[in-house]
Amino acid sequence: MLKTGVVQVTARGTDVAFVIDENAPFDVVARELRDYLPKQSSLWSKGDITINVGQRMLAREELAQVKSIIEANSGLKVTRFWFAPESLESGDLQVEAKPAASTAKTPAQPTAHNEIMLPGATPETTKETTDETSPGSISAVKSIIESLKARHNKNGARNRNITEALFIKSTFRSGESLHYHGDVVVLANVNPGAEIRADGDVVVLGSLKGWVHAGAAGDNKAVIIALELPSARFEIGKYLGVAPTSGKRKSNSSASGPMIAYVRSRSIHVAPFAGRFARYNKGVPYDG
Amino acid sequence: MTGRTIVITSGKGGVGKTTATANIGTGLAMRGHRVVVVDTDIGLRNLDVIMGLENRIVYDLVNVIEGTCKLNQAMISDKHDYELFLIPAAQTRDKNSIEPEQLREMCAELEKEFDYVLIDCPAGIEQGFKNATAAAQEAIIVTTPEVSAIRDADRVIGLLESSGLHRPKLIINRIAADMVKRGDMMDQKDVESLLAVEVIGLVPADEHTVVAANRGIPVVHNAKSSAGGAFLRIAARVDGEDIPLMDMEPKTGLFSKFKGMVGMSGRAYSHA
Repeated sequence: MLKTGVVQVTARGTDVAFVIDENAPFDVVARELRDYLPKQSSLWSKGDITINVGQRMLAREELAQVKSIIEANSGLKVTRFWFAPESLESGDLQVEAKPAASTAKTPAQPTAHNEIMLPGATPETTKETTDETSPGSISAVKSIIESLKARHNKNGARNRNITEALFIKSTFRSGESLHYHGDVVVLANVNPGAEIRADGDVVVLGSLKGWVHAGAAGDNKAVIIALELPSARFEIGKYLGVAPTSGKRKSNSSASGPMIAYVRSRSIHVAPFAGRFARYNKGVPYDG
Repeated sequence: MTGRTIVITSGKGGVGKTTATANIGTGLAMRGHRVVVVDTDIGLRNLDVIMGLENRIVYDLVNVIEGTCKLNQAMISDKHDYELFLIPAAQTRDKNSIEPEQLREMCAELEKEFDYVLIDCPAGIEQGFKNATAAAQEAIIVTTPEVSAIRDADRVIGLLESSGLHRPKLIINRIAADMVKRGDMMDQKDVESLLAVEVIGLVPADEHTVVAANRGIPVVHNAKSSAGGAFLRIAARVDGEDIPLMDMEPKTGLFSKFKGMVGMSGRAYSHA
């Protein structure tokens, strides 16, 4: 990851993302970009990039300006913008002329996982980012969000970062079952005999003893996180996890603290939780 | 006067619902309340036997609901000098003989006259359970410290909560203190953390309970027995008194042996 004061460049697979500090005033960002891009020009080859503006609200002219700066100073083509989910979900989708004033509730650096991917090079989006007419295009922004949500519903795997989580605030008991098209957070125990099927992640702030299927729509990247994970059977995506018997199991239960279950090399592994997007190596394989 | 209708339920059979109903009912009556206990286990009635009132049954719950007798004709007065009445279940009918709404109406009628209406719920979660729980405003769950009973209790709590009976109270019955100490039986904390409901009573496994049931005299009449004392305290807690839960101490060593002997000598029941 390359780093400057307010602009970060991250590579995610074949994608390159520009992450812009959401607290920096817009003119600083623009200046940084102008200084930074030519210096690093050797790094850029031709390609599509994504701009991540965090929780900042940019006016359309500003988006267009960023796009033109980048395109003028590198061989890159801006195809999409990312926004932090808060700015999309909160409802106050105002396009403000002074971005610094509109900053987020949290001053945290925008992490790469915190944002929403705008639809790629769909004609509509391209128009949105390049067209430099009429400010205050709130309805246009809203329509993007609507299409985003629609897209998400069809494609849970790709855009799962924008799910609206369902909170269950009391014990989820035997005989109760739930299927939710997003992430599920249980603020209590999930008891034996209970069933939760979620298209996204399942987080249990308690002891998970029931049956859980995360990524039920086929997302193998979904995870199950629980403060305690005594459950012997659960599913992620298309994989079934069965707790190892006796000997191996001891090594797992000796590790206390929150656990995460994830898919690794076509089987479910369980390891001590170290962050949703931490890099997990081989944990305890749940392959029976 | 508006009484409280409390259903005593468990899901699993044989954990002590009927025993708990008889004892809490008697305990509340001993505290000076007007109490009626209703057996809704139609076809498998037991509450009359445990209370020793089997021979006095003329009319039953189904008769009342079908209108073949008046409500007070089906109410059997307890053998003891308390304001305690039993409405027995019909033995020759089944759970589908009554509707939840009918039982609710009957209990509303009883609430006008009594401080407490206790409903003894049948095992299971079918029609009988629906009948029994529909009429109540409060629920007491009885469980034993066994996985199967706790699993069923968990299911029942979920069903109660979804039908609007929130915050049920829990009685953990038949706790064997020595087994808990050895780690062979779940203790109060284990059960509590699993079911996440308030525990209103811990009843030790006590052979007095069995003897009392066989004799038709609820064990609360023997306040010196450990189970009798526990049920008296539960009745007091139902009544709103704030009594801390007792620690279950295994009876080992000289001192408790001595206490055990005292308990033996004091086994005489307060027959009326």
